[in-house]
Amino acid sequence: MSILAYNGGCVVAMRGKDCVAIATDHRFGVQGQTIDTNFQKVFQINPQMFLGLVGLQTDILTVKDRLAFRKNLYEVRENREMTPERFAAMLSSFLYERRFGPYFVEPVVAGLDPKTSKPFICNMDLIGCPNAPDDFVVAGTCAEQLYGMCETLWKPDLEPEQLFEVIAQSMINAFDRDAISGWGATVYIIEKDKITVKTLKTRMD
Amino acid sequence: MALAEICGLSDAPFMKANSFSTDDAGIELFKLSGNMEDPFSLAVPPFANPCEHLAELQATGENSGIKMNFDHGTTTLGFKFKGGVILAVDSRATGGQFIGSQTMKKIVEINQYMLGTLAGGAADCVYWDRVLSKECRLHELRNKERISVAAASKIMANIAHEYKGMGLSMGMMLAGYDKRGPALYYVDSEGTRTPGNVFSVGSGSIFAFGVLDSGYKWDLSDEEAQELGRRAIYHATFRDAFSGGIVRVYHITPQGWVNISNQDCVDLHYKYQAQKEAAKH
Amino acid sequence: MISAENFPEYNVPGVVKHDFHPYESNGGSVVAIAGDDYAVIAADTRLSSGYSIHTRKQNKLFKLSGTTVLGSTGCWCDTLALTSLISARMKMYHYLHQKVMPTNAISQMLSIIMYHKRFFPYYVSNILAGLDADGKGVVYSYDPIGHCELASYRAGGSAGALLQPVLDNQIGLKNQENVAKDPIPKEKAISVIVDTFISAAERDIYTGDGVIINVITKDGIETRNVSLRKD
Repeated sequence: MSILAYNGGCVVAMRGKDCVAIATDHRFGVQGQTIDTNFQKVFQINPQMFLGLVGLQTDILTVKDRLAFRKNLYEVRENREMTPERFAAMLSSFLYERRFGPYFVEPVVAGLDPKTSKPFICNMDLIGCPNAPDDFVVAGTCAEQLYGMCETLWKPDLEPEQLFEVIAQSMINAFDRDAISGWGATVYIIEKDKITVKTLKTRMD
Repeated sequence: MALAEICGLSDAPFMKANSFSTDDAGIELFKLSGNMEDPFSLAVPPFANPCEHLAELQATGENSGIKMNFDHGTTTLGFKFKGGVILAVDSRATGGQFIGSQTMKKIVEINQYMLGTLAGGAADCVYWDRVLSKECRLHELRNKERISVAAASKIMANIAHEYKGMGLSMGMMLAGYDKRGPALYYVDSEGTRTPGNVFSVGSGSIFAFGVLDSGYKWDLSDEEAQELGRRAIYHATFRDAFSGGIVRVYHITPQGWVNISNQDCVDLHYKYQAQKEAAKH
Repeated sequence: MISAENFPEYNVPGVVKHDFHPYESNGGSVVAIAGDDYAVIAADTRLSSGYSIHTRKQNKLFKLSGTTVLGSTGCWCDTLALTSLISARMKMYHYLHQKVMPTNAISQMLSIIMYHKRFFPYYVSNILAGLDADGKGVVYSYDPIGHCELASYRAGGSAGALLQPVLDNQIGLKNQENVAKDPIPKEKAISVIVDTFISAAERDIYTGDGVIINVITKDGIETRNVSLRKD
């Protein structure tokens, strides 16, 4: 069993029309045993930017804290808010610093540019190879299932309500076919003027 | 053969008219699917010690993309009480971490008075339970009476012992009602066979045991016993990743078995959740 | 386990270790959906090995009888061995019983034949689709050693994990609230299958080139072809 699948979990992010969405499951387990059903893998970094981390839970917490430190340092020095593109670049080089002893995390970044409100999504492998497509990104133990769902349901220029429906259905149906993800889900819809957080009712087995 | 000699025909085997007879075809077919006639005649693998070497083939497959995962994972339980025997099972089949099915039937109806539960390798359990069903029916025809659960479990244990070390994976309970009263046996692929009052088998059994042991007593009413089994399986599906789907409850009485309920885990979870909330206020 | 590999200094120079690699993954995906009076089964047509493609036109559906079709992928040589054995067995059944083997009997026979090689399995992902004795559609799916389960829809093969949740959602109507659980019409089932294959071809390199669809009804088996991306 891969160390990336030790704790289980998944994250998916999608682009819509002038908005982005990111969703996470709630499970924290140790192989087959479910320890906690309220462990969210998506963290708010800035008012309009979220970071999702899946993989080894201990590394998720470490990477989240260290990135927050670097981001704060940047913002204090530069006296401006960090853009998602900049954050992703920083994350990429942060992960590559540990090229030969990596953090076992697969990150997903989703957000809007603080000035232009341009949507941005990005994911990486565990040593920081970035990938920023214009449709959707997935990570976690049910990545294959998520690819299948997203590829079928996603369309360009979805409105926020439609985007919520698409990301929620993709997430739930994908992790219902994965033993070690699920146990609840949360979706964040990031728009120019508001952020909507919705918790989904899912299977709990 | 004078003509053949004049014509210079060779007498090599492939030149003979009967070199490939229908008998040979029959033998060939038996070699390829002998267990259609005799369920114990399985193909010999081209390597020694299949337990180890097949596991090796499966392990190297993880790197080469050849993933050969057999369906696995389970929570099953059974207990005897004053009203008979209760069996309760989940219905999830996982191959690796992929959920292959959420609707698998893990209770096999051997006859009207006997049930078997299956845990471990799904194919192993289903195949040998079918063989057991046949043996039980034959016993009935030969002896003009139903087989006892003790005898049936002994047949199963003998099969398991015959293949011990070959890598079969089974953990099953046989439950029924015979002339000696309610019976419950645990049999596994190591050859273990033991009677008992309370069993739970499978990856989620540790969680099921927790609930089962705290609520179990001999004098449970029928409804209490059925609910105890249901609850124990539900709690196991919640904590164990490899259990889930539908919770099936069976009750065996002197009149034979009855399927009490088949409830989806989602409905059970939110029902119990609501009960918990109501109890708070 | 202690073996010579644990002590590299004792290795004989020039000795090459050969492992036993009897299997090959030739890729391909199968999807089947059963309805009230039909069954649809589809498979892609790419036969590959690693990064190279052997052929773009391999039919992976085997017509076993007028009402039963088997879709088989995995190690292609195992598929060929298994399907020829099945057809021989089905002929024997036909001559012995003077009738064509029904779908449920084929499903059980397939399970037993696959379990015959329990200790050296056929590396195949099998899905059997057909009509039962009442003319209702049925789908059976198998693991490599013959565990058989009756389902109403199923995806298997190299893109099985991508396709199955889509079928759960679109055909099983899982996680959808306030939708009428009407029976799925035949044309809808076919269009969902085509959509899922288009999605799978985007992300799975072992699936692509084309799809062959067999529609099984009481009137016979109709074959349709759809092309997929070829890269």
